[in-house]
Order: sequence, then structure tokens, then C-alpha cells
Amino acid sequence: MKKILALLLAVVMVFALAACGSSSSAPAATAAPAAEAPAAEEAPAAAETKVAVFWYAASDAYLSTVRAALDADLEAAGIAYQDFDGNNNQGTQLEQVQTAVTNGFNVLVVNLVTSGSADAAQQIISAAGDLPVIFFNRAVEGDGEEGTVLNGNDNIAFIGTDAPEAGHMQGKMIGDYLVANYEDVDINGDGEISYAMFMGDASNVEAIYRTQYGVEDANAVLTAAGYPELVYFNASNTDKYQLDPNGAWSSAAGNEFMSTNLAEYSEANGNMIELVIANNDDMALGAMAALQGAGYNDGNGRMIPIFGVDATQPAQDAIAAGGMTGTVKQDAQGMADAICAAVAAIAGGSSVLDASAAVADSADIYSMAEGFNNKIFVAYAPFTA
Amino acid sequence: MAKTGYFARKKEEYQALDAIDRRRYWTDGLLNNALYILMAIFIIFTAVVNKNFLSPSSIVNIIMLAAVSLPMALGIGGCIVLTGTDLSAGRVFGLAAGMSAAFLQNRMASKLIFEHLPATSGGWIILVMLMVMVAGAVIGLVNGFFVAKFSLHPFIVTLATQLITYGIILMFFQINGNGGGPISNVAQEFKNAVSGPCFRIAAWNVSIPWYVIFAIILVALMWFIWNKTRFGKNMFAVGSNMEAAKVSGVNVFLTTMMVHTLAGAMYGYAGFVEAARLGSVTAATGLNNECDAIAACVIGGVSFVGGTGNIGGIVLGVFVLRIIFVALNMLGINPNLQYIIKGAIILAACSLDMRKYLVKK
Repeated sequence: MKKILALLLAVVMVFALAACGSSSSAPAATAAPAAEAPAAEEAPAAAETKVAVFWYAASDAYLSTVRAALDADLEAAGIAYQDFDGNNNQGTQLEQVQTAVTNGFNVLVVNLVTSGSADAAQQIISAAGDLPVIFFNRAVEGDGEEGTVLNGNDNIAFIGTDAPEAGHMQGKMIGDYLVANYEDVDINGDGEISYAMFMGDASNVEAIYRTQYGVEDANAVLTAAGYPELVYFNASNTDKYQLDPNGAWSSAAGNEFMSTNLAEYSEANGNMIELVIANNDDMALGAMAALQGAGYNDGNGRMIPIFGVDATQPAQDAIAAGGMTGTVKQDAQGMADAICAAVAAIAGGSSVLDASAAVADSADIYSMAEGFNNKIFVAYAPFTA
Repeated sequence: MAKTGYFARKKEEYQALDAIDRRRYWTDGLLNNALYILMAIFIIFTAVVNKNFLSPSSIVNIIMLAAVSLPMALGIGGCIVLTGTDLSAGRVFGLAAGMSAAFLQNRMASKLIFEHLPATSGGWIILVMLMVMVAGAVIGLVNGFFVAKFSLHPFIVTLATQLITYGIILMFFQINGNGGGPISNVAQEFKNAVSGPCFRIAAWNVSIPWYVIFAIILVALMWFIWNKTRFGKNMFAVGSNMEAAKVSGVNVFLTTMMVHTLAGAMYGYAGFVEAARLGSVTAATGLNNECDAIAACVIGGVSFVGGTGNIGGIVLGVFVLRIIFVALNMLGINPNLQYIIKGAIILAACSLDMRKYLVKK
């Protein structure tokens, strides 16, 4: 009995190792048909290109849609690729990059774990040696150190969004909505709108910008139209936001904060929260579930406006059903297309700078950041219906 | 009559003590109940600063939040009684939540994970609940088997199954072109059955959701299992002294397996509730949830020494954590400080708990 068990365990281990073996040979398998199919459009060099794509965390909802789109794009272009999961650990990601370099990958596409850390980006660049590196989505330079990484390095590029833009867009959307519906939103009729703000992660530059501009820009629109500024619902909370304790931007956090808030602030008490702003759609949906538990936002009239960012499928459905008001769309397909186009150009023999310039010019949603020749922005778009 | 007799006896006992023993009587009494005393002070302080804290709707909210985290704590409590732990709980919870959401999507939704499923009916909801509980139980069974068969520490076994389960979650979320995105569009019938109002207290303008009732039933069930069944007694026997239990004829292998299996089923049920409560589940759902569950058990007196703990303590521990969460929010305390306060409370509670055993020895 003991021996049979030991044997079984050994077999499991062999299978586990075999599974590793087959997954590392997968790119070769995808590369084989590639050599015939896209030969007409891509240079034969595409067959030799092996792209390693490093994701900060496989569980991220938005980036999962980018990954699905990018995988499809790369397969269609006949470029061999492999995805790596950094599991939200910068150390893990660096080790994966080092291993991939020794393993013969020659284009690195990196979704940095520590968003906005120039040091982390520099480590990746030095680990890559003279290989081209395309960073995407998560910022490689922090606030006030723009250009420290990207400028003067011709072998790297960044494809992402202008970090403050989502916050600006969300704020403006909120301001416009409030100006159009002020009397309806101001439930207790005190002439001021009280709001709740849910922050996803204290150390993420996007979260910081969204928390700041989501309110500031809304206030700018409101004051221009002659209305008072927004008021945070809880005067004793001087941070003016509630933060996901795990930094995970999760719907559970949004839900628990909102249901706790609703226990204290309600129409019966005359201090109902009249507006909900969240850093992302997951948190917004969590807050929506809490409001629905209290009889709001179920599509039957009584509605507290909720704004998120990302335009995930559930959020789009919620907006259609009258549960949420608006979100900011981060174009996952556009992001994937830009990365794939840049990789294909590099595989075809062009320099990183030429590839960047070509991508930036290829469509309206792309633009080159001011003062850079290798930093491409994918535009956000407001989404309300 | 009996009560006065008890107090009179206590008084006599106390008067028989000399000065040093009297002082020890009070300090021991204070220290052994320090957690309760501190919590009482904390609650009074919060209520004075913010009178809403003890309003009916706030108390109902605390009960609702506690009902959400109770099932996982009840499951993991058994593992701790066996001097073990369970690191896979959060991921099993996440898998169960994802499965529940996928099996109980609104059939009219534009994007479905599984296209050919029966319409959402009461029977199907119960079947899905049983299915995810079985899925959780299977992972628990694997945990228990390796712990019992190879005498591996549960820390290692459940660390491995945590990773394996996460891999399964990531694959599950990619079914049918979902590409790892959130699973949402949960059927309204499912939400109503779990997180919809069971009854309404009109005077307080609050409604109690069904999952609070389920949690109460679950607590009663677990209390029965722990205290009134042979399996429960065996669990404590194995936890306090495995060799002694073995010699006295307890089937240690079976008991260990069953404790972990039961725990897995509990995580499955907890994930089922989470899917209904939130309406949208991501692959990250459940991450680190076991930490709060373990903390709740330990605060409630389920000791890592093994063989001690009771259901009432776990319920209390869950409430303590939730009261801290709500109170720190209502006091408007900086989130950075909230970590420090929570950590300090766990550390203090465990030290006070351990002190009882040190005194005994």
C-alpha cells in the first residue's frame, strides 16, 4: 500500500514536470505554423522572434482582458510568445525577466509590478541587457520624475495611459452629470452634494490621481456652474476616502465600506450619501450591491449616482440596468493592438523608436506623449451608456 | 436561591484568601478577561464619540458583516483545534464564489460562462450550493489526506493546495472566452435567495438578509458537531494529544481527514454567499481571507496549542474583528493606523490566551 502510494506520488511529480516542459515548448509549437502563414506580411524574422510578456498579476480583471486580446493578436501575427505571472511581486517579476533572457526570448513586454517605480524599471532594463523592452499599462516613472527612465534610452518604449487622465475624465463626467441633475441628486435639499470615495491602493499612482482629480475636477465644473463644491460625507474622516485594506481594489472592500456607511448615513437621518466615486469598477459594483441591499439602484427609480473607472463588462451591464451611472473606458483591445503592432515592427527589423512612432501615428486613440519619442498614450473615453 | 448560595460560597472563598492571594485573584481575573474588558471600553468610547455606532441599523450591519465571515472561521477553527492551520481557505472560497457565479448567471445575460444550464430555480440554487460545497470538501479531503497519511504539517500541505487551487481558479476564469475577466450578471433569484431580505424590522427601518439566518443555523449545526458527536470529541482528543487519542482507539487518520473536509465544505459555502452578496466575482476574490478567519478563531480562544476552543469563542472572535472594522471607520481613523491597531489587538489577545496555559504549567 505504502509503496503504491509512493509510486503514485512519483508519477504525479513526473507529470507536473512534464507539464512544465510542454508549456515551455508551446511557443515553439505556435511558431511553427507561423513560419508559413504570415510570411507574406511579416518579415521572416518574425519566426525567430520570441516574445516574453510579463503580467503584474494574472488575477487582475482589466489586464486579463488585455491579455486575452494580446494573446489573440500575437497568435494572428504568428509571433511566438509566452505569458508570465508576476503574482504581484516585483522580485518574482525580475527573476522571471532574468530567466527569460537566458532562455532566449528576444523581445520583452513588461507590465511592471511596482507601478511608477523608476528603480524597478531600471532593474528590468539592466536585466534585459541590449534586448528591446516594451513597458505597458503600469507607469515606469513616478510623479515628478518624467523622463528619467524613458528619455535617452532608445531601446525601450512605454505604451499606456496618461495616469491622471482617467481621474480628470471621471471628475469632469461627475461634474457634468451633477450640473444637469443637481436637484435630483441633492436628496436632502441642503444645497450640497455629499459623496463617498473608495480608493483602490494607497501606493498606486493611478489610484492617487483618480482619488484627487475625481473630486477636484468635479468641483471645478460645479463652481463654474455656480454650485457649491462636493462635501465628503463623514466630516471626521480627514483623508476624505476609504481605502481597500488589502490594496486590491476589490468589490468586497467597496461593499463592506458602503454597507457600514449606510448603517450610519441614511435618508431617515437626513444625511444620506448622495454620490459614490470609486477608483475602479469593482469597488463601484461592490458599493452598488450595498446600495441595492438598502433598496437603491435597482433600476426602479431611487438612484444614488455611482462612478467607476475601467468599463469592465459587469460595469457596462450595470450601467445599462440603471445600477451605475458612468465609468471611464480603458481600451483593452486598443492597448493590445498597440503592443502587438510594436512587437511586430521590432520583429520586422525596425528600431524601437521607429516602431513607437509608427504606432502613435496609426490611429486616433494613440498619441505620443509630449517631449518623448517612445511614450505612447492610449486614450481613455467616458462611458455612460 | 442557588445563585445566592453560589455567590455566598464565592465570597467565603474570597474571604479565606490572604492579602497576596487576594491581589492575585483580582489581577488574574482582570488579565483573563482583559479582551472583554478592552472591547467593552472600546465600544463605549466609540459610542460616545459617534452615537450612530450603537444605532439599530449599525448593529444590524455589524451582524451582517459577521455573518459573512462566520462560515470560514467555523471551518478553519477545526483545523486549529488539531494544532494545524489552513492556508488554502481563501482560494477555495474564491473558487467556490467563481463557480457559484458561473453556474447561477442570469440566463438572459449577454456573456455566459456556461451556455447550457437549467433556468435558475430554487432546486438549481440548492444544487449549486451543494456542488460548490463538495468542490471545497474535495480540496479539504486532499489537505486532510496528506496531513494524516504523511504526517505533514498542514502549513505545508495547505500552502501547496492554495497554489493548486489558485491555478484552477485562473483556468476556470478563462472558460468560454471569458479571458480571466470578472464573472458577473448573477441571477436575481440567486441574490434574493441568499442576500435578499428574510424579514424586515419596520420600526428600525432595517431588513435582515437570509444569509444571517443561514449563519445562525450553521453556528447551531457546528456547535452540535463539536460538542455532541463522537467526531467532535475525537477532534478535541486528537488536538490535545494525538498519541493518547491513538492509544485510546480514536481513528486519528479519519478524524483529521474529516476535519479538513468539513472545513473545505464551509469555505465552499462561504464562497457561495459571497457570489450572491457581491454579484460579481474576480479571480482575486478570497485572497488572504484565511488571515482574518484564523485571527478571529485565535482571538476567540481557539488555541494553536491544540485541543481547546469552542464555537462561542469563534463567534465572539468574528464579532470582535468586525466591531473593530466598523468602529475604526466610524471614528474616521487613518487606514494606516487601522493595520497597526488590528495587529496589536491580535497580538494582545493571543498573548493573554497563551498566558492561561503558561500559568497552568
